[in-house]
Amino acid sequence: MRQALRRLPTMAATLLVVSFLTFLLTGLLPGDPAVQILGPEGANDPEAVAAVRADLRLDDPLPARYAGWLGDALTGDLGRSYRTGQPVAEAIGERLPVTVEVGTLAVVLALAVAIPLGTFSAFRAGGPADRVITGTSFGLLAVPNFMMAILLIWILAETLGWLPATGWVRLTDDPVGNLRTAIMPALALATGELAVYTRLLRADMITTLQQDSITMARAKGMPTARILFRHALRPSSFSLMTVVGLQVGAIIGGSVVIETLFALPGVGRLLVDSILQRDLIMVQGVALVIAISFVVINFVVDLLYTLLDPRIRHGRPATA
Amino acid sequence: MGLEPTRRARAGTRLVWALVAAGLIAAGCGGDDDSGSAGDTTGAESDISEQGDPVYGGSITVGLEAETDEWLPGNGSFANAGTSVAYAIYDPLMRRDADGEMQPYLAESIEPNDDLTEWTLTLRPGVQFHDGTPLNAEALKTVFDDYLKAPGTNTAGALTDVEMVIVDDLTVTYQLPNPNSAWPDQLGLAVGWPFSPTAAAAAGEDAGSQPVGTGPFVFDSWERDNRLVVKKNPDYWQEGLPYLDEIVFRPIPDEDTRISSLTTGDIDVLQTLRQSSGVRVRDLDGVDSYEQLGNTTGVNIFNTTKPPLDDVRVREALARAVDQEQIIEIQGGTGVVPPSTQIFNEDDPYWSEAVADAWPGYDADAAGELIDEYVNDPARSDGKAPGEPVTFRYDCPPDPSLVDMAQLYQSFWGQVGVEVELRQVEQATHISEAISGDYDAKCFRAGLDRDPYPTLNDAFTADSAINFTRFTDPAIDADLEALAASSDLEERQALVEEISLIVNENFPMTYHGSTLSVLGARDVVKNLDGWSFPDGAEGSGTPGATTMWGFVWTTE
Repeated sequence: MRQALRRLPTMAATLLVVSFLTFLLTGLLPGDPAVQILGPEGANDPEAVAAVRADLRLDDPLPARYAGWLGDALTGDLGRSYRTGQPVAEAIGERLPVTVEVGTLAVVLALAVAIPLGTFSAFRAGGPADRVITGTSFGLLAVPNFMMAILLIWILAETLGWLPATGWVRLTDDPVGNLRTAIMPALALATGELAVYTRLLRADMITTLQQDSITMARAKGMPTARILFRHALRPSSFSLMTVVGLQVGAIIGGSVVIETLFALPGVGRLLVDSILQRDLIMVQGVALVIAISFVVINFVVDLLYTLLDPRIRHGRPATA
Repeated sequence: MGLEPTRRARAGTRLVWALVAAGLIAAGCGGDDDSGSAGDTTGAESDISEQGDPVYGGSITVGLEAETDEWLPGNGSFANAGTSVAYAIYDPLMRRDADGEMQPYLAESIEPNDDLTEWTLTLRPGVQFHDGTPLNAEALKTVFDDYLKAPGTNTAGALTDVEMVIVDDLTVTYQLPNPNSAWPDQLGLAVGWPFSPTAAAAAGEDAGSQPVGTGPFVFDSWERDNRLVVKKNPDYWQEGLPYLDEIVFRPIPDEDTRISSLTTGDIDVLQTLRQSSGVRVRDLDGVDSYEQLGNTTGVNIFNTTKPPLDDVRVREALARAVDQEQIIEIQGGTGVVPPSTQIFNEDDPYWSEAVADAWPGYDADAAGELIDEYVNDPARSDGKAPGEPVTFRYDCPPDPSLVDMAQLYQSFWGQVGVEVELRQVEQATHISEAISGDYDAKCFRAGLDRDPYPTLNDAFTADSAINFTRFTDPAIDADLEALAASSDLEERQALVEEISLIVNENFPMTYHGSTLSVLGARDVVKNLDGWSFPDGAEGSGTPGATTMWGFVWTTE
């Protein structure tokens, strides 16, 4: 808890910087942001330009504009889309659960496969099983997620008919239907991740398995599974934890493509559509939420270190 | 309705009505019945199973190519996908019949005065919006004045100086500033889709997400980018319609996954405007394919005010240097899409053989000579020294088939000594640049399922905000004025032919094939192209991959 409190000011400062950079999205546009938002056709209407300028407080000094925008954002008011007329916060609120669910499922699936595979691969380092797992991991890393998505649709939807090819059923409407629509996009996102996780865990685990404590455990006749999963896994997980946090960005990036392919109403698709339609207020809102999510998730990962390693909890270096 | 910034910002979206960026929108007209263009080597070839007798009940899911921003006519950008949904919720006052003529649909009749400056429209008695508000002259005028003409809406530009006057409870007169024989055409678009003014006023800013029309289906729910559900309207004004209990519309932007969804049964109907997808739909087992050739053609637009494309010799050379058949082939349209020589397709009454004959064919030698002439001209418009190569930039959206096409154009033009820089540009920017004139050459689509007057007026007059090529001609202005003032088909055909000839002599655009629109449906879904007018006249089928959903049934 004390660790968390100590890190809070850093996170707050990071969030402040992130919010300022996101706010600058409109300010960095060349020329008059109102004209950019309206496009050349709408910009011929001075009344429309004046209305957008007033709406975005463009005639105020930058610090005042930022303070006003931040104040609104903190109360959940991210503005209203100039394209659809929908409040930005409402649009994000509708779509965030889809992206979070698919992303979380992808990470859980990737970890569920990567932890046993990486551990076993390290345990049998250099053996045939290790070579197969390593080769497969490299292969999966080389397959872009959109290609994996098309492959999965062809196998699981078109050929076997097990899952729907596209669409989204909300968890609250039908939990089973929800899982059926979420599993294939999650798998497409998970394959690249699980390859990274497996490779990383294998490398750290090999180092851990060479430590004296593991030799001692073996000498005492402790069962292999107990050695691997009780004594070796935890100290081998730091890099994995870090990468899982950092890979949130990759998951979000992947969701941009995956949500379009599977026709999911998520934040990734909202971001793409908003960029394509020059809906800058929506882009600003989505970018802010994504940036905040990234910072908060990595903050949580930092906190998890303290649970995994008492040395950090007590302020000592983590390295052996 | 106030002057909200939200509404004002949509001014740009109205510009997609007439001349639209490649791949964004297309529409069809002048197609035929189930048999398509039987016997032709290219063209629409619908393949439809036995229809049987109508069946009541059931639900279908329709896969659309895009989501629509909102559903209030005047504010929403109704491309093909949006129009398809709109025909479930709204009824158009006018629609085009099988012969290409505009006929009353929700309206009972429409009559012009002698000089075509006043059009008197009479509504059918007893029609109600879904919320129970009666459809009468007062409702129509409230919608017209308070919503459609509100500054910043998509429709305000088309209604400038147009007034609506109430004659009696069911009759209104549209008073136009100038003669316009094409006015009924306008009433087939969003301007002519009445919605409940009571419901719109009650919903306020959310009116665009809660549409209330007079159509065969009542809006039920909308999850953006996921699904829009409509339910049967039990009080529909057309006796015996609709057949279906429910339709679920799902936007599935990716072409491949939309087709996969049809083959797996996730959806029952899909729409596509891609030639290659249309061909794939033809080959699917258990799927009926409803095809129609659009009155739209792929074009390259040239900025005729910007060197070197301000010189007609260069533009003509670019037209002559290209084998259109190969351009169609690389887009997957061989055997499907015929080459174009004008905006109108061969089934359209305004297509002209004289214009087709006047369009130059593929002649690389002649193209090379024209380029040499320009290159060696000491007074060449781009200010370069004689002998310097001709260079310009060619923009296309980043669609794979368009990228291939752009590279083929670059190759053709390169062979006659023109250096072309290719650039991929997103749709919104693509359109903005075309409007502002900040471009050299772009791939686009030209034409729409409309009367030729608004299409040509938008494309080739100085006052038009969407005269992307900046090409104007006093003779075209005079012809357009005469076109608007005439309702005689032969006279109008002659005027359109004159305009098309002037356009083709000056090469502000070149052509690369008509547009095929396709509705693919599992063979349990019937009668997608069988809609008719209340008086029994045959409708225009599935133009632009849209249909009148009230006439569709399912046997499942």
